[in-house]
Amino acid sequence: MNLPMLAARNALRNRFRTILTVVGVAVAILAFVSLRTVLDAWDLAIESSAKDRLASRNKTSWVVPVPKKYLDKVRVELADEGLTAASYGTWFGAKDPTHKDLFFATISAEAKSLFDVYDEMIVPEADKQAFIGDRTGALIGDALARQTGWKVGQRVTLQGTIYPGLWSYTIRGIYGAKRRSLDRGIFFFHDEYLQEKLPDHRRGNIGWLILRVADAKKGSEISRRVDELFTGSDIETFTQSEKAMNLSFMATFSAVLKAIDVVSLVILAIMTLILGNTIAMGVRERTNEYGVLRAIGFRPRHLVGFVAGESLTIGFLGGGLGLALSYPIVTLGMGRWLEENMSGFFPIFHVTPKTYATAMLLALGLAAVAAAWPAVGAARLRITDALRRVD
Amino acid sequence: MSENQPTTTDRATQGKQVPAIVKLAGIAKSFERGKEQVRVLEALDLEVPAGSFEALMGPSGSGKTTLLNLIAGLDRPSAGTISVAGTDIANLGDAPLAKWRAETLGFIFQSYNLMPVLTALENVELPLLLTRLSSKERRRRAETALRIVGLEDRLHHHPRQLSGGQEQRVAIARAIVNDPKILVADEPTGDLDRKSADEVLTLLEKLNREFGKTIFMVTHDPAAAERATVIRRLDKGRLE
Amino acid sequence: MLPISYNIRSLLVRKTTTIATASGIALVVFVFSSVLMLQNGIKRTLGLSGRADNAIVLSKGADAELSSTITTSQLSLLEAKPQLAQAAGGGVLAVEELVVVMTMDKLGTTGVANVQLRGVPIDALAFRPEVRLIAGRAPNPARNEVLVGKAIRGRFRGLTLGQKFALRSNLEMTVVGIFESGGSSFESEVWASLDDLRSAFGRTGLASSVRVRLSSPDALVAFQKSVAEDPQLGFDVLRETEYYEKQSEGLAMFITVLGMVIAVFFSIGAMIGAMITMYGSVASRQREIGTLRALGFSRIGILTSFLAESIFLCAAGGLIGALGSLAMGAIRFSVMNFASWSEIVFTFTPTPGIILGSLAFAAFMGLLGGFFPAVRAARVAPAKAMRG
Repeated sequence: MNLPMLAARNALRNRFRTILTVVGVAVAILAFVSLRTVLDAWDLAIESSAKDRLASRNKTSWVVPVPKKYLDKVRVELADEGLTAASYGTWFGAKDPTHKDLFFATISAEAKSLFDVYDEMIVPEADKQAFIGDRTGALIGDALARQTGWKVGQRVTLQGTIYPGLWSYTIRGIYGAKRRSLDRGIFFFHDEYLQEKLPDHRRGNIGWLILRVADAKKGSEISRRVDELFTGSDIETFTQSEKAMNLSFMATFSAVLKAIDVVSLVILAIMTLILGNTIAMGVRERTNEYGVLRAIGFRPRHLVGFVAGESLTIGFLGGGLGLALSYPIVTLGMGRWLEENMSGFFPIFHVTPKTYATAMLLALGLAAVAAAWPAVGAARLRITDALRRVD
Repeated sequence: MSENQPTTTDRATQGKQVPAIVKLAGIAKSFERGKEQVRVLEALDLEVPAGSFEALMGPSGSGKTTLLNLIAGLDRPSAGTISVAGTDIANLGDAPLAKWRAETLGFIFQSYNLMPVLTALENVELPLLLTRLSSKERRRRAETALRIVGLEDRLHHHPRQLSGGQEQRVAIARAIVNDPKILVADEPTGDLDRKSADEVLTLLEKLNREFGKTIFMVTHDPAAAERATVIRRLDKGRLE
Repeated sequence: MLPISYNIRSLLVRKTTTIATASGIALVVFVFSSVLMLQNGIKRTLGLSGRADNAIVLSKGADAELSSTITTSQLSLLEAKPQLAQAAGGGVLAVEELVVVMTMDKLGTTGVANVQLRGVPIDALAFRPEVRLIAGRAPNPARNEVLVGKAIRGRFRGLTLGQKFALRSNLEMTVVGIFESGGSSFESEVWASLDDLRSAFGRTGLASSVRVRLSSPDALVAFQKSVAEDPQLGFDVLRETEYYEKQSEGLAMFITVLGMVIAVFFSIGAMIGAMITMYGSVASRQREIGTLRALGFSRIGILTSFLAESIFLCAAGGLIGALGSLAMGAIRFSVMNFASWSEIVFTFTPTPGIILGSLAFAAFMGLLGGFFPAVRAARVAPAKAMRG
C-alpha cells in the first residue's frame, strides 16, 4: 500500500456517487471533444484546401460576375509566369425538384479545362471524354451520387433559381478525388449550355476564374499580377488562393465559432462544479478520518494529496471514459455522416490526437482545480475539531 | 514495531527517581464559545513518570479530553509549558509537531477510527507511510504489531468484518507500530462490551509491562481505571 | 407536509454543495436561455422585415432576392393587377429594388464579410413608413450617396456617417445617413439609389425584386393566381412575411440543432449534479429522516419534501442563469445568413416565455435529478432515528 493507492481507494468508496461523477465528467468531456472537433474540422477544411489553385473574383463580391474575356486575357498575359492551367466557373444555384431539401453546388464550367485545374479529380477516361463531348452532359461528385442515387447515363432535370426554368442533363461521369481539396458533392456542367439559353444582357459573364500555378509559393505574386491586369477598369478582380478564400469564408462564421468555443468552456466549468461538489461531499463526510490521520502524524500536505489524488482519479476515469466514447460517437458516428453528407463544409471530421490530449489534460487539470477548495478546507481543519465531528 | 526492544520493565524501578516523561507546568486552556471565554483548564501541573500506566477520570466537561489533546500535541495551551519525552511541544511549529506525533506518540480512540477502505494490515501500516521504510519492512512491522495484539489471523479483513474488540485491537496495533514512547488513549473501552473491554485492557497492561510503554488513558469506566497503576481525577479543570 | 422552509434551511446548511450545484444549473440554464433568445432574435429580425399585406415578386424559381432577376419592362403588366392597393396620389404602391452583395473589411477583425446592398427607388420610404432616418440626411439622387442601417453602422470599413467606400473601381459612395427600421434585417443593409446601383453594375432595366402593397392581406391568393396565369410574366409571388420566414429557416435550423445538441449534453450534466447533491443530502440525513418518519410523517410526505428540495435547488440556479442570460441582450451576434449570403446582425431577444421556459427546464431537471434520491429518502426506516 502507498499514499496514492489510499487516495484512489477513497475515490471508489462511495461507489454510486463516484460512478455518477465519472459519467458526468465523461459526458462533459464528450461534449467538449465534439465541439472542439467541429472547430478543428473548420481548420482542417482550410488546411486541406489547395494552395496551388487561385480563384479570381469580382472585387465587389462573389455575387457580381466578371466578363469572360478576362480569362482570355489572363491566359495570354500570364502564359509564361508559371500558370499551368486556367478555367472558370459560375455559380448556377439550381435545385433538384425531387430532392428539394438537398443542398448541392451546381457549377457551370468549361469542360475541357476543368480537369487541368482540378488535377486531384479522378474520373474514368471514357466518362471524362463522354462528358467533354456532350454539351448537356454533367459530371457529379461521388458523394452527391451517393445521396441522390444518380447513375452514369441517367437523365436529370434541375430547377433553376438564378437562371429560371428547367434544365436537363445527362450524367456522364462521377468523380472522386485524390485529395481533400475538392468537394465531392458538386454538379458540374457545360457553360456553353448555360450561355446559349441566356438573354443577351446576361451573356458573356462568368462567376470566377480558376487558375492553377506551378509553384504554390508564387501564388500571391501571380494573384497580384492578375489583379494588376484589370486595375483601373470598371470591373476589377480580387485574386487569392483557394486556401485564403476558404479562410475568409470561414471567417464569416466567426461568431458561431466563437459561440461554440465559449460553450465548450462553459461545459468544462460545469464539469468542474460537479466534480468539486463530489469531492467536497467526500471531504465533509471524512472529516473525522482526516482528524485521525493528522493525529497519527500526517501533515496538511498529505491531506491535500489525498483529496487531490481522489479528484484526479475521478478526473482520469471520467476523462478516459469520455475519450473512449468520443471515438465511436464523434469520429465514427458524426464524422462519417458529416464527411459523406456535408463534405463541402466538413471534408474531414474526426477527433485529432491533439484534441484527445487536450481533453485528457483538461480533465486532470480541472480535477485539480475542483479539488483545490475542499483540499484547502481539509488542510485547514483543526485536529481537535475534526476528531469531534462524527457525521 | 521492532522486536529487539526491551521486553520487560521492572515495576520496582518506577518511583520518584524515574524521570517524568510527561511534564505539564502552569497549564491553562480556554476556548471561545460565541462571545464567552470558557476556561477549561487552569494552573494545572502534572508529571507522568516514564513507564507508568495512568488513568484520568472525571465527569463530563471536566477537561479530560482537552488535557489529553494537549499531551498528545493535538492542541496548544493558552499558557504554561508541556514537555513530553524530552520535547517542549507547546512551542513546536505545526510541521515539527506532526513529525513528533508520528515518531513519539501512539493514539487510541474511543471509536477505533480505522479507515474503512483499508484492511487490518493496511490500517496498521498507515503511520509507517510517513517513514522511509521499504514496503517490505513496513509490512513486516505491521504484521508484528498485529501479532502482538493477537490478530495475526485477521490481516486481510476489512474493519466492517471485525468485531468492535478486534477493531480496537487493530487500532492499538496501529498505535504501537511506530514504536512510540507513549500511548494516549481516549476512552478506549467506551464503545465495547465488558468482555472485549477486558481484553483491550489486558492488552494495554501487557504493552505497559512487557514493552515498557507509558500509557495515559482517559476513561469514564471505573473497571478500566482499576487496571492502571495510577488513577488521577480531574474536576472543573483541576487535578485532585 | 413538511414546510418548504425546512428544505431551504437544509440547503443553506450545506452551503458549498448547494452553491456548486446551483451554479452548475445556472450555467446550463444560461446557455439554454441564450440559445432560445438568439433563435427568437433571428426570427424576430427577419420576421419584422415582412408585412402581411405586402407581396414580393421574384423571377420564377428564385428562392431569394439575390438569385432573382426581373426585367422592368414587364412591370407595367404587374402593376395593372386589380388586387393592388391604390396610392393616395394615384398609381399603385410598389417598389422595384436591386440587391447586390458587397465584400467589405470588417472592423476589429482581420477578416471580411458580405454586406447586402439594396438599390431603392426614391419613393422607397413612402412604401416603408417604418424606416426612419436617425442621423444624417436623405441622399440626393445621382450623387452616389447611401444610407446605412443602424445595426451595421461602424462595423465595416467606410460604413460610418460621413465616410466613403468604393463600390467598385472609380466609384465612391458617401454615407450621408443612418436609418432604423424597428429592428428588422434592413438595419443590416446599405441602401443606395436604384439608378446609381444599376449603372454601377451595368444592370439597366433590371431589378431583383418588386414589392407591392395588396389591397388587403386576403388579396394575395387572387394576385398569385393572376400572375401565375399570365403567360407574359415569369414571376413567383410570395407573401412578404412568408418570404422572410423562409429566409430565416436555414439559420434558425442551424442554431436550433446546435442548441438542442448542447442542451442535451448540458442537461445530462446538470441532472447528474443535482442527483449527486440530493443523494449526498439523503445519506447524511438518515437519522433526521428516520426521526421525521418516527414522528409520523408519511413516505409520500418525505418523498415530496425531497423532490421539492431538489426542484427548489435547481429552480434557484435556473433563476440566476436566466437572469444572467438577460445580459446577453447587450451582445450583437453577427452571422452570415445562408439565404441572403450576407451578414445580418442579430440580438439575443428575451421574452417572458423564454425566461419562464428556462425556469421550467431547470425545475424539470430538479425533478428528474431528485427523483431517485427522494425515493431513497422515502425508504428510510423510522428505526434509523435510534441508531447513530
